Amino acid sequence: MQRRIRRRYAAERRFRVLGAGAVILSAAFLGFLLFTMVAQGWRGFTTTELALPIDLHAAGFHVERARLNTPAADLALASAGLEDAVENAATSAFGPDGATLIAPSAWTVLRAAVKRDPAILERRTVVRVPASTAFDRALAGEGTPAMKATVARLQRAGMVVRGFNWTFLSESDSTDPVAVGIWGALKGSLLTMAITFLIAFPVGVLSAIYLEEYAPKNRWTDLIEVSINNLAAVPSIIFGLLGLAVFLGTWEIGGRVFGPMLPRSAPLVGGVTLALMIMPVIVIASRNAIKGVPPSIRDAALGIGASPIQVVFHHVLPLAMPGILTGTIIGMARALGETAPLLLIGMRAFIVTPPDGVTDPATVLPVQIFLWSDEVSRGFVEKTSAAILVLLAVLLAMNGLAIYLRNKFETRW
Amino acid sequence: MNGFALCFVILGLGLIGWLTARARALRFDRGGRKRLHSLPAQHGWYAAAWTVLPPLLFLAVWSAISPGMVRQTILRNPAAAQLSDFAFERDSVLAQARAVAENPYAGDVDPLARRLAPLVGATRSRYAWIGTLVAALLAFAAGAYAITRIRPDFRARSQVERTLMMTLLVASLIAILTTLGIFVSLFWESLRFFGHVPITDFLFGTHWSPQVIDAKDPGASLGAVPLFWGTFFIGAVIAMLVAIPFGLMSAVYLTQYASPTTRRWMKPTLEMLAGVPTVVYGYFAALTVAPAMRQFAVLLGDPYASSESALAAGLVMGVMIIPFVSSMADDSLAAVPTAMRDGSLAMGATTSETISKVLVPAALPGVVAGVLLAVSRAIGETMIVVMAASGAATITLNPLESATTVTKQIVDLLTGEAEFDSPKTLAAFALGLTLFVITLLLNIVALRVVKKYREAYE
Amino acid sequence: MSTAFTPVSHKMSARDVSVAYGDNQAVKNVSIDIDMDKVTAFIGPSGCGKSTFLRTLNRMNDTIPSARVTGEILLDGENIYSADMDVVQLRARVGMVFQKPNPFPKSIFENVAYGPRIHGLATSRADLEAIVERSLKRAGLWEEVKDRLSDSGTALSGGQQQRLCIARAIAVDPEVILMDEPASALDPIATAKIEELIHELRGRYAIVIVTHNMQQAARVSQRTAFFHLGQLVEYGETDNIFTAPRQERTKDYITGRYG
Repeated sequence: MQRRIRRRYAAERRFRVLGAGAVILSAAFLGFLLFTMVAQGWRGFTTTELALPIDLHAAGFHVERARLNTPAADLALASAGLEDAVENAATSAFGPDGATLIAPSAWTVLRAAVKRDPAILERRTVVRVPASTAFDRALAGEGTPAMKATVARLQRAGMVVRGFNWTFLSESDSTDPVAVGIWGALKGSLLTMAITFLIAFPVGVLSAIYLEEYAPKNRWTDLIEVSINNLAAVPSIIFGLLGLAVFLGTWEIGGRVFGPMLPRSAPLVGGVTLALMIMPVIVIASRNAIKGVPPSIRDAALGIGASPIQVVFHHVLPLAMPGILTGTIIGMARALGETAPLLLIGMRAFIVTPPDGVTDPATVLPVQIFLWSDEVSRGFVEKTSAAILVLLAVLLAMNGLAIYLRNKFETRW
Repeated sequence: MNGFALCFVILGLGLIGWLTARARALRFDRGGRKRLHSLPAQHGWYAAAWTVLPPLLFLAVWSAISPGMVRQTILRNPAAAQLSDFAFERDSVLAQARAVAENPYAGDVDPLARRLAPLVGATRSRYAWIGTLVAALLAFAAGAYAITRIRPDFRARSQVERTLMMTLLVASLIAILTTLGIFVSLFWESLRFFGHVPITDFLFGTHWSPQVIDAKDPGASLGAVPLFWGTFFIGAVIAMLVAIPFGLMSAVYLTQYASPTTRRWMKPTLEMLAGVPTVVYGYFAALTVAPAMRQFAVLLGDPYASSESALAAGLVMGVMIIPFVSSMADDSLAAVPTAMRDGSLAMGATTSETISKVLVPAALPGVVAGVLLAVSRAIGETMIVVMAASGAATITLNPLESATTVTKQIVDLLTGEAEFDSPKTLAAFALGLTLFVITLLLNIVALRVVKKYREAYE
Repeated sequence: MSTAFTPVSHKMSARDVSVAYGDNQAVKNVSIDIDMDKVTAFIGPSGCGKSTFLRTLNRMNDTIPSARVTGEILLDGENIYSADMDVVQLRARVGMVFQKPNPFPKSIFENVAYGPRIHGLATSRADLEAIVERSLKRAGLWEEVKDRLSDSGTALSGGQQQRLCIARAIAVDPEVILMDEPASALDPIATAKIEELIHELRGRYAIVIVTHNMQQAARVSQRTAFFHLGQLVEYGETDNIFTAPRQERTKDYITGRYG
């Protein structure tokens, strides 16, 4: 008997350890994923720059001072051969392969410097220009031995400067990994989310009010409820197919005839598609929030002569709002991280200029991540991971806000 | 005048209507009665609704039909006689003419389009003016009608509330329209697909290679069985082998063993797994897990192992599903009456014996329903398989070999540059329809099981 | 069964009123007259239909989809179930106080001001403040809350909450006030205050109160109606009902045979 009890206790302990193990392993996976992203992504937020000594006057570079204050300044500097001057300076400063060490966009940095301070046209100066992708990769430990040696030599000479990569936050897509940024995608996401919110929130809340407060019990109402519950479980890619078939099918035919041609990657199209996708989430959350408002409040308002509409809009809705907002934020977070439907409707364009409106071609952050993950160049790995970190940070902030709202306004009746 | 400005003007007229009606209502003689049916502001809303809604409705209809009318008018004009009879060519010239009308400096334009530009521009602006004028007239007429109806005994509140109620009803109908839209668009495109490819070839064919389609017998290379198998293998087998034990054990541990503090911290942590965007999982699977799996396969003695194995995608997908299974199991365990648990413990059973012999069997229907929902989510998951699974359709039982899924193929088929109604792109819709129907069935069955189960314990 | 009182023109009269929830007949052929300046008490065992009948008097039953009301109820001679009666205006004239105090989770001021606002009874802020003050005074709550009108109504004690609800009801200047067991959730001291308040309000409104407490009915009302199994068994002056009931069932109830 004693032995049997000991055996049973051993089994009990094993079971417990198994359970704890499942929890710990699941959490460990999350930790591992985050760790991988940070380990690969932190470098994406940094830049490698080279301190380039340059004497434009000695190099025989001339441009009329008067033209520097006109809109044609860019043209004047380019046609005067600024790009060549920079490359020559790099060769003389860094060695014969100097021109390959600086990014192709390096001369634009100098152009901005000249426009800011024309005096540097006359004297020797040192400008920090972005290093090329090959140089940057070699610095990260991936590159040819020759390039690594060059990196070591310049590092000893104190010509390599590391800094925070503001470009990554302010620029858009590019073919060169050192020049890419997420601002364009972020702005696209913002515009898309604005459309999604403007459609899904009112439609979702209004249908929830109708279903919870006014809908008569009949077949129509049942049909609406079944539709909403099923839509909540439909895979997101199906919404992409719907978007593709409906929006683009009809709009392109219309557009071909006369209407304005809407680009397939417009935030308007993506936003509407995502709105249909998260609307059921908002409806279900809103219904639960409305259900949570005690009936005695409705009685109280009805009892002094409030109309059913006034009861809902003056009393029930304000009281249900925290719950509704929590559900909406969670739904919006889902839309923000969604990729598949947007890929299908064609929101996968190469976007160099950030969109200015909801009808401009745009991309969104998750799609940008997907596109970068497909790039062959190794330099994109750290940019992809860095973009993922930004996306995760935004999502974490949104979910944190939802939890805060829930805790702050949670009322027990 | 562009649409935005016009809407703005109409809203401005609405505001004027609101103010006028309210002012009128404020001057009412109360006629000895204590209270009026409607407040002045409600009369205001009544007038504003009348002023704004009819012109906006008209504009919506007008913007849908006026392009066609513009086109008809242009085509009737003798100057348009030279236009090609081919619809596509004709439309292209007209579109160019429109571009020239808007921007005379547009380059690279058909000479005919340049000649037609003034006509197109004039016709378009004529119809735009007609629309604006009618909208404005409607706003004035309807607003004036509303204001004349305002009397002390007029029930403006009821009217306004009826309008609001209609808005609520319309909003809730959008859900039905969406469902209908999904079904009709999938069904319609699938029907066109089955016009090219016999449905039996698609459903029972075992060869899938959409890159090389024989124009005479497209069905021969569009057999979807390998996709169905791959979807099932990755989503319902490998992913579930991860998600079910981990999800279930996590739920058991967190509900039965863990201290409240542990529970408070670990539950949201696990839920974060569900909040990570799928594109992140996909990237992680492709970049970290898949190479590791390949290494593993090489270690097992397969030097040509695929780096796009079913195992990598399935494993990561399983992790993503863990919180889903865990929270469903949590709910079902919580629904088991405490009396059952107490009864078992009181007999001297250990906690683990109680859980495995009493709680889990009692909660089984709920758990099974949760697993069904999890499967439906897994097979509909797209980004992980798009990024980590292979495009090669094989039927295999070896998790280290490559397999492809329905969702991956939908994305691959539709992101090419193929034209819209080739059998290749239409196949994506047939796959979508299959996916839609299967997930729908899984959900209906699961919800029914959950409902039965809940009723059993109430 | 009904009894006629003088004066002949009553504030409210029910004629042959029946209420059914689906197949369940909750109120059967009730006819009754209710007059100004009187407190009318409805008594009877629980489930006898007295609360259901009370709720037909300002059409609160409309909110239950399966409820069906037949017969007619007249307010100043006008049928409140007729098509052109606006239910919102009706409820402003026939106010209601519920069993459990149900203040809005808003400030005390907003609780009382809400009714006058939606019915447009105040033309200015000062006007509204005057209405709020007058209503709170009539409800006997003014002295207790005048310094904290912006505090939440739900922070008051149960008895205060119920008086706040009464203040809220009288702020829209009703003609009839229906009270559905207004003191059943309160302690004895709060109950006494409510009963005192009912006495004071009697001069301005017709008050109908449902109670399961016979002593309370005897204390506050001038007339009492006894309901049983959905029927109005007996209706008369309170003193008569409690001292010399004419019906056997009334006598059984009052002497405590059931209930």
